[in-house]
Amino acid sequence: METIALKNISKSYQGKPALHQITFSFPSNTTTAVIGPSGSGKSTLLQLINGLLRPDAGDIHVYGQLIDYNGLPNLRRRIGYAVQGTGLFPHLTVAKNITLLAHLQKWEHEKIKRRLQDLMELVDLPQDYAKKYPHQLSGGEQQRVGLCRAMMLNPGIFLLDEPFGSLDPLTRNEIHREFLKLQEVEARTIVLVTHDLREAIKLARQIMILNQGKIEQVGTQKEILKNPASEFVRQFVQLQLEDDISYAGT
Amino acid sequence: MIGKLTICAAIFALSAAGISQPIKIGCKHFNENYILAEIMAQLLEARGYQVERNFGLGGTLICYQALVNGEIDIYPEYSGTLEQAILKLDEKRSLADLQALLQNTTDLALFDSFGFNNTYALTTRAEFARANNLSTISDLRNQPDLRFGLSYEYLERGDGWGALAQFYGLPQRPLGMEHSLSYQALDEAKIDVMDVYSTDAEILKYNLVLLEDDRHFFPVYLAAPFVRNDLDAAAKAILQQLAGSIDETEMQQLNAEVAIDGKTFAAVADAFLRTRGLKPEDGPRISESQWALLGHRTLVHLKLTSVALLAAMALAIPLGVMVYQLPKISRPVIYFAGLLQTIPSLALLAFMIPLFGIGTRPALVALFLYALLPILRNTFIALYAIDPVLKKVSVGMGLTAWQRLRHIEMPLGVPTILAGIRTSAVILIGTATIAAFIGAGGLGEYIVTGLALNDMELIMRGAIPAAILAIVAELLFELIERLVVPKHLLQQQAQ
Repeated sequence: METIALKNISKSYQGKPALHQITFSFPSNTTTAVIGPSGSGKSTLLQLINGLLRPDAGDIHVYGQLIDYNGLPNLRRRIGYAVQGTGLFPHLTVAKNITLLAHLQKWEHEKIKRRLQDLMELVDLPQDYAKKYPHQLSGGEQQRVGLCRAMMLNPGIFLLDEPFGSLDPLTRNEIHREFLKLQEVEARTIVLVTHDLREAIKLARQIMILNQGKIEQVGTQKEILKNPASEFVRQFVQLQLEDDISYAGT
Repeated sequence: MIGKLTICAAIFALSAAGISQPIKIGCKHFNENYILAEIMAQLLEARGYQVERNFGLGGTLICYQALVNGEIDIYPEYSGTLEQAILKLDEKRSLADLQALLQNTTDLALFDSFGFNNTYALTTRAEFARANNLSTISDLRNQPDLRFGLSYEYLERGDGWGALAQFYGLPQRPLGMEHSLSYQALDEAKIDVMDVYSTDAEILKYNLVLLEDDRHFFPVYLAAPFVRNDLDAAAKAILQQLAGSIDETEMQQLNAEVAIDGKTFAAVADAFLRTRGLKPEDGPRISESQWALLGHRTLVHLKLTSVALLAAMALAIPLGVMVYQLPKISRPVIYFAGLLQTIPSLALLAFMIPLFGIGTRPALVALFLYALLPILRNTFIALYAIDPVLKKVSVGMGLTAWQRLRHIEMPLGVPTILAGIRTSAVILIGTATIAAFIGAGGLGEYIVTGLALNDMELIMRGAIPAAILAIVAELLFELIERLVVPKHLLQQQAQ
């Protein structure tokens, strides 16, 4: 049983196709990075999985079941979701942001407290941050709180929509380390949308390259670097890594 | 047999209901009308009747309509007003003619006059009149050098100065003056003659005399109870006792006690009825102080605004949420609420009269309609303007629509929604002063009466507390905001 399976998925916005005939199964307990230029459909793909968008054609199975569009909240609670920026609720404290869903699920008080402490420890957030408001935290700290929130109910799936995009390089490095640590401790099926190949290489075991709504190639970093499946992939990789070299040079 | 019994029982039930019904008395929004209405009310109360007071109604037509519709049973009216403004007759009629005409064509009756004529008059200082031998308007003809200070309104009117001067052959050239300033000018001998109403309180205050209208130019405005025919016969008989009980000088005196000495209408009416033996001397004395009256009116004002505000919140906030969730209806609903806001407040109040009559109810409805828009619009905007990323995350993490509203959208919207309620509250405190025009009471009673009397002090007596109320409301909402909204959200909003 695959955790996430897409079959013949097409989606268009006002007649403009965004995704065309995508069929793909995401391997369980593994991080898959979805990468491509803007407009390639990578964000659309992600939002199809938690029902924020509905495909025009095709089937999506999550946890082995066809998505029930009348019971989306239940499904979404089993899927962690984090976005660019942080999406933290400014009127709630760090603790409330992280535990909101657990409260709504009527978890026991003790259990909530323990899970909160564990999560904050896991991402290296001091415990006394629980009472702070999001605006009192740095960008990197906010991002960690966002990850804690997504992990609160211990979902088997993680959808990350360019969550580290707005961080400075140093903080991003740190968060990347936390991310890899987390995946070691609580492995889950992760779909990471990014426009940064370096990040994809660093965090994902598998990389999917999208272009104009179609999959150009899926493979490990080695496969993609050594055997680009198309001219587009070759150029895309070259461009991104060139960028990397010039960055390293400064 | 059974049929007759049923009819008897029905008649008995009806008449019993009639007795327990209070008699509803109205009056227009100027001092003299208040005093006369209060005198009638207290007289009926002294004889055991229940009385409901709907005082300070916006004007002649509102009073008349209220009487015709049975919203009130009685109000004090003037024969000249009845003749010209209500029946719109072309020629002058005697009081008896008017009474007969009403009897034949309506269900209303104008009783015999209280005994005074409140008409236009020319006046001068008492000692100046004596020194110059002035007692009638005709006497003015031979003194072309007299300085006249007339109100602008009187100079402009069709039946005003032009007609009067022609009728009497007066040679003087009058000066246009602000009416309230004319008294001062006359008192300081800067002018010699001015126009007044014959029962104005200032006539006594400045020791003036009226120049007799010896050739009967001015229309007659005899004051009398204007009554519905279906009023209880015994009550009618009691009111007839007031016929001929007040002459011009006495009315000036009663007006002065209110306008100059600052007594309440109730206290003035009470004292009048006692001295005439129309009320037992040993009964409970009415001497409501000005402060108690102010307190009472402020309370009425607060009640009006807070009830209307709460009702508006109860509708506008849920409606704002609905409109946010159904974008298709948002435009029409908000346009409609905006339309309500553009209706001038006095007009909106007037629209309410045919629907809800006079008094508190129509005022509440009008105020309620006024309060809707700011709350509705701010609720909608508060929800609409929430950061789309937050909306997306709250959906994506699995919150139901209700949970999003309850835990995310409403808490984030609170500062904006509160600002809307605050705007409505301040608007209502201001607008509620106008509600006095349709008998809803409150601080507007001072303003309405003050406007009618051109009495700045009286206007201030209503305007200042209303302004203070508005400031207090502002401070109160600021406090609420501080208590319920985290500080950093307020700062964010300010940015």
